[in-house]
Amino acid sequence: MSAQLQENRDSVTLYGRRWSRENADLSRTFDILVVIIMFIAITAAFHLHFQLTVGDWDFWVDWKDRQYWVTATPILLIAFPAALQYVFWEKFRLPIAATVCMLGLTLGIWITRYSGFHTWSYFPFSMVWPATMIAGGLILDAVLLLTGSALITAIIGGMSFGLLFYPANWPLLAPFRLPMEAMNSLVSVGDYIGYAYTRTSTPEYLRFIERGTLRTFGGHSAVVSAFFSGFVCILVYLLWWYIGMAFARVATLPNRMKSFMGLHDRGAEGKDA
Amino acid sequence: MSSVIQSSGEVRSATAARPRSMVNLKPAIFTMIGITVLMAGYRIYQQIYAWSAGLDSTDPAFETYWMGLLKGELVILVMSWVGLWSWLWVTRDRNLQALKPREEMRRYFNLVLYIMVYAFCVYFTGSFFAEMDASWHQTVVRDTAFTPSHVILFYGTIPLYILFGVGGFLYAMTRLPRFADRISIPYALAVAGPFLILPNLGYNEWGHAFWMMEEFFSAPLHWGFVVLGWSVLALGGLLLQIARHVFEIMGRLEQEAAA
Amino acid sequence: MSLSRRSRSYLLGLFAILAMSEVPAHGERNQEPFLRMRTAHFYDVTWSTDKVKVNEDVVIEGKFRLFEDWPANLPEPDVAFLGNGTPGPVFVRTESWLNGRPAIQSVPLKIDRDYAFKTVLKGRIPGDHHVHPMVNVEGAGPLMGPGSWVQVAGRASDFELPLTTLDGTKIDNLETWGVSSVVGWHAVWIVIAILWLAWWTRRPLLIPRLVAIDEGREKLLISRSDLMAGAVLIVLTVSVVVIGFMWAENTFPRTIPLQGGRAVVKPLPRSQAPVDVVVERATYDVPGRSMQIRASVTNQGSRPIQFGEFATSGLRFVNRELPAAMATVAPNYPKELVPPAGLRLGDTTPLGPGETRSILFDMTDAAWETERLTSLLNDPDNRVGGLLFCFDDRGERIIANVSGPIVPIFKDLVAHQGMTH
Repeated sequence: MSAQLQENRDSVTLYGRRWSRENADLSRTFDILVVIIMFIAITAAFHLHFQLTVGDWDFWVDWKDRQYWVTATPILLIAFPAALQYVFWEKFRLPIAATVCMLGLTLGIWITRYSGFHTWSYFPFSMVWPATMIAGGLILDAVLLLTGSALITAIIGGMSFGLLFYPANWPLLAPFRLPMEAMNSLVSVGDYIGYAYTRTSTPEYLRFIERGTLRTFGGHSAVVSAFFSGFVCILVYLLWWYIGMAFARVATLPNRMKSFMGLHDRGAEGKDA
Repeated sequence: MSSVIQSSGEVRSATAARPRSMVNLKPAIFTMIGITVLMAGYRIYQQIYAWSAGLDSTDPAFETYWMGLLKGELVILVMSWVGLWSWLWVTRDRNLQALKPREEMRRYFNLVLYIMVYAFCVYFTGSFFAEMDASWHQTVVRDTAFTPSHVILFYGTIPLYILFGVGGFLYAMTRLPRFADRISIPYALAVAGPFLILPNLGYNEWGHAFWMMEEFFSAPLHWGFVVLGWSVLALGGLLLQIARHVFEIMGRLEQEAAA
Repeated sequence: MSLSRRSRSYLLGLFAILAMSEVPAHGERNQEPFLRMRTAHFYDVTWSTDKVKVNEDVVIEGKFRLFEDWPANLPEPDVAFLGNGTPGPVFVRTESWLNGRPAIQSVPLKIDRDYAFKTVLKGRIPGDHHVHPMVNVEGAGPLMGPGSWVQVAGRASDFELPLTTLDGTKIDNLETWGVSSVVGWHAVWIVIAILWLAWWTRRPLLIPRLVAIDEGREKLLISRSDLMAGAVLIVLTVSVVVIGFMWAENTFPRTIPLQGGRAVVKPLPRSQAPVDVVVERATYDVPGRSMQIRASVTNQGSRPIQFGEFATSGLRFVNRELPAAMATVAPNYPKELVPPAGLRLGDTTPLGPGETRSILFDMTDAAWETERLTSLLNDPDNRVGGLLFCFDDRGERIIANVSGPIVPIFKDLVAHQGMTH
């Protein structure tokens, strides 16, 4: 086939293989459509996963604590990037899956914070701003690109993913951790925002936050949390890499309704996936 | 860039116009515009009637604006299921063996566009209206399973993506030989998982009735949705399947052109 | 964020139109009667005004008793929070106090004890809002008190919440504090992410790359400049994180963690002269919308008492023949919560010190239906509960708990017969 096409002026060579112009164009159209689909679908599924596992910490400024927010968010966040990195890297050698996940999630979140929390439920953005999560995604993609190894990406990328989350968000969060006095009590500005803007069905005690430590040796709660998070991220990354592998398996079953559909067996049944 | 892609032809011939004939974007684009308008309409409806008629489910206005909408959308969506799915079934191709590569390629692109419309609808459920649900239920006192958020999130947008999810699956099964021969497990997962979110509402409402009186979005009660949402990852497997099929048809197209 | 200001102005207009159609409640009516009759009983509730401008205060004060006959299916109020039943943050809560202690944190509360509360709300979103006092109890959810309409007038965009922090930072408006930096940092990361994706997506992506791997030409897929771009990305990402962190540390050197402690609030002292009420039989006449409770009442105090009010679920059945009781109904108290027929007694003779007598309490009003309290007949736990306000001859008030099983009566005749036994 390629020998014939070499004679044709209307062909292109893509990654060492000749393609007819028509097929190259079809392939590019396919690229564009699939990229749009993956971006939308990842945004939908990843945002659903995110909001229903660690959403509360991300919704509210008075939930972004040093213990659970810092620990849980990266652990739950690394799942989809790991699963999709399997597909995009192993099958297409594209180190973009983690970044796509984080970018889609970020855009999905901003849209609903504006439409839902701000416009529908009247909360100010100072209360409902989302954390930034893109830095971890970029590191995962870059480490995978440079090493080509899921294991090293899990160890170096996963640990970085956990460790970078808090410092990347600190410039956003620090203004809300200034101390203030309210009703003769010491609170942070973030606490006060959460207190002032009523969440009728989500009262103060529902906050799943650091209520105190046993020992943090100098008060470095966030550092301890980030380090632990990084450790779990390594394991979760590997787990989800394999979950991604399972989901990407092209398995098929015989269509038992074929005769009912009025179709005849082609004879090749069972061989082609 | 230039090291990996080398063009051997400077002038595009008439064949370059051919892909357009195989890729008809219009129906998908118009459908997505329609969906966008519908979703914007839902959102505006919420803005107007959630606060004014949606706080007290014993209020007659609630019956009018929210239960009325619920009944209306369920009737229309179930009718649309019956309509689209039976149309796809009735108009199925009974002679798939005779399918020419050009037509098969055209159908593959139609399938991809079906999946695009499906993903677009899933976005409104999984991302847009789902997090809106948190903003509503954490703000007000829930007094019914059919809240202004649920009437649209659960009973408006989920049946809509089921329409296109099952629709696309049926399209593949009735018009593409390899999907007719064998059922694609990743595709079945990518459709069935999100579909099961609808019956999973039973678990959600059971929990909210007997177990969880406060809105904590990350609560285990909601993790059924999460696990079912993971099935969207099966689109990765489906992508590989379709990509290989399309490549195989490209080979046949080239053979055809060479002949 | 100018965008958020614009949207608030838009909301203001929309809300002003919507506020014309009043909603009678927000959700409490469909709460099960056991939840409303046997958890938190609010009384002496006052609203300082029914009309404020944006930025002006309304003060809600009153008391609540956590009922003795607390439903067995609800967790006890070991963790509770003084909330406010408003349609979200249409008001900003600037102060809340529980027995004089700050209620910014959650507290453990005790069953069968009374608490005085005070909440200061500042008007934020214009409209007519139903404002309830409320106690959130962990596991039991929001327990709402009576609601009254408060109108907020003005423009939402005029709302401001200024404050000064302990390190001297002046915050002009808490609504917009820190938002520009949040948006700025998000924008930086979004731009980097888009550049990274553009680097890869500009080339043929899927089928050609899949085929190249299948056919063993994967080395062509990643070029030296791609690897260089990856290295640059790592350095850039880590640098931006470090620079951002150092900037925040320098700009805000003195910060504190979220404050998650629990407060301690002692309940109000118990009444020294209790009245003991034992329900003999309680019935609800469904067509007649009438609740009748026959109870054996013992006056354990030293002065004669009369019965002034039966309060349950925010409804106040007041004995109109007792001036001391009528004096407790403030002129601006929501009319729909004070049924006109009030509390009627089978026997109006004062109950002497140490005396025990069987007395019939009659509360008849359509409010039982409109408040949907009759749906208790659908509950697996069919018990009625409320507070009985007794007044001695000096006008002092004694509050007694009333609770017991309730029997529905579906016909007028049977109801009549039932109560003559």
